Amino acid sequence: MANDVTTIIAGIKDIASGILEKDISTVRGFSERQLEAIAKQTVIIQKGIANGDIDEDLREFFLDGLEAMALNFINTLKGILMVTLEKLWNALVNFLYKAVGVVV
Amino acid sequence: MIALPYLNKKLLALNFLLALFLFGGCEVTLAPAYDQAIVEKVTESSDLAMRFFAEVAGGTSSETFGVREPIYNVLIGAFESLKLQAKARPVPENVALEKINELLQAKGSNAISGEYPSAFAFEKIAETFKKMKHTDRENGIKPLALQAFKGQVEIFLDQAITYESFLKR
Repeated sequence: MANDVTTIIAGIKDIASGILEKDISTVRGFSERQLEAIAKQTVIIQKGIANGDIDEDLREFFLDGLEAMALNFINTLKGILMVTLEKLWNALVNFLYKAVGVVV
Repeated sequence: MIALPYLNKKLLALNFLLALFLFGGCEVTLAPAYDQAIVEKVTESSDLAMRFFAEVAGGTSSETFGVREPIYNVLIGAFESLKLQAKARPVPENVALEKINELLQAKGSNAISGEYPSAFAFEKIAETFKKMKHTDRENGIKPLALQAFKGQVEIFLDQAITYESFLKR
């Protein structure tokens, strides 16, 4: 019994860390790229306004754009999280059902 | 008293897991299906967009707008069509997702809906090319404005491609 419990715990840990490690590395890469790109975009807009390349009309357009991209950055992270949660849940359920001898 | 926010967070996480356990059944679907056609089309359209930005790097003049107009039209059409394709996928419906949405709304967060981040990004890319086309026709586009248009398209493209690729599970 004790051995079974240890095996099941080890199995759950393996499944969870396998999925999480891969997904977290994707999320980290995406977040770093996005934050750097949004920061660069802000500087380009600042410089463009300062030298007159970006007029009043374009200024409003690009500021709205910055807001929309920040909002969608968060929504993309939320979307990715739902996929990770789904993968994690389904892998765990399959593992547990197999452990009790139920075919899913 | 100090521990209350911490306890609230723990309870929310517990509720969330309980919802999955009680209402999830065997397997759950919390995100839309992966669509190879969308990924292929976005790859093709982003390639076209980047080639176009390379051609006009340094700025444009309104006198030569006619040469670029057909490319703007292709790009606007491609990203509007991608938005429709991305939105057309049904939102997964099951009791687990309903319960998660109830919990998210109770905590003041937006529910998971058909407004997929990739569809939103495609819509914003189409809007960016529309604005770029209008500016180009009226006054031409100056170098830093062009860089800002390119930056905006790249950021939304990264969001859309990352999300759509992630759906392949």
